[in-house]
Amino acid sequence: MSEPDPVADLLSRVAAQDRAAFRDLYAATSAKLMGVLVRMLRERAEAEDAVQEVFTRIWLRAGRYDPAKGRGMTWMIAVARNLALDRLRRRTEDQADEEAAEAVVDPTPTAERRLMAMGEASRVSTCFDQLEPAKAAAVRGAYLSGLSYIELAARHDVPLNTMRTWLRRSLISLKECLDR
Amino acid sequence: MTASSGPDDDLLAAEYVLGVQDAETRVTLEQRLKRDVAFAAMVADWENRLGGLNDDFAEVPVPNLLPQIEARLFPTPPVRRTSRFGWFAFAGGATAAVALAVAVIFTSMPAPPALAPVLTTLAAADLVYEVRSDGDTLQVTRISGSAAPDGQVHELWLIASGAPPVSLGLLADAPLEVAYTAPAGGWALAVSVEPAGGSPRGLPSGAVIATQLISG
Repeated sequence: MSEPDPVADLLSRVAAQDRAAFRDLYAATSAKLMGVLVRMLRERAEAEDAVQEVFTRIWLRAGRYDPAKGRGMTWMIAVARNLALDRLRRRTEDQADEEAAEAVVDPTPTAERRLMAMGEASRVSTCFDQLEPAKAAAVRGAYLSGLSYIELAARHDVPLNTMRTWLRRSLISLKECLDR
Repeated sequence: MTASSGPDDDLLAAEYVLGVQDAETRVTLEQRLKRDVAFAAMVADWENRLGGLNDDFAEVPVPNLLPQIEARLFPTPPVRRTSRFGWFAFAGGATAAVALAVAVIFTSMPAPPALAPVLTTLAAADLVYEVRSDGDTLQVTRISGSAAPDGQVHELWLIASGAPPVSLGLLADAPLEVAYTAPAGGWALAVSVEPAGGSPRGLPSGAVIATQLISG
């Protein structure tokens, strides 16, 4: 639990209005956050704009980060994902349908290999392995690409309510497995 | 999905972190996150659980956007292009003495705030705050009505789309100046009544008496 967390240390200095720490934080984390935003927003220019907004929010809200509740990077990625999700959900239904139709297949195999690198991540991987592949892909598609229930139902060609049931059951079994 | 808490709340929290809900549900849950500590804890737990997937986000090189970000957050404060001193500094040599005399006259007058364009106003009954922005400073002035009663204070909040409010400062008789770029369209400003010294918990704790959406 008390592993070193350099991002958390930088965040606590940023909360104290330390601008040098803010620069270090940008250097240390911007490529990762850009990765999150490009993947979810699927547009480089918009992702660059979003990176600016994410770091603006991080400066303004660093005081709310509580290292006792999770790692610094997890918190920053949550800020980035929430911004991306809010933007995605505000895009029109029409655009969403188009994007769902075009959405590329999740690059799961490479991702799986990368996941094995870390303990925490490999546990997630083990727990995902216990789900049916289609359901695991749906959860990943939601988390990593920001797909909505509507988009997921279209992509997996199942009724909306079926997708809802799939995801809810998957989340319950993931929780049981991860909290074990 | 109001106050009740139970097993369904945990699923709602999971769906919120996963991000599968529609915009309307997200907004409702974001409101709830601000006041429901138990629900916020469930969301944090799910962020940690699903955070194991974060390794799947590959790093993508990004240009150095720090200058733009810093320009938004920390505009260079003192010498403003519109400042009289800044102007006179260029007048130079022979006119310096005259300039100084004029400057002294100017500065001994109650200086009207530099006239940045009005961004919006925040109004509640007879109370009106005017918000001006020159692109790097927000200036908020009460132009009608009176300050909060003794022992209380008006606090100004900025609410980025879908995010919890961030305090921009306390509104007293003097205009409030905050180094901040013009808020984006779709963001909102709000004024709440707080105990003297401001909200103790970093979020509005008292009545919100005025809100204004920034038009895009």
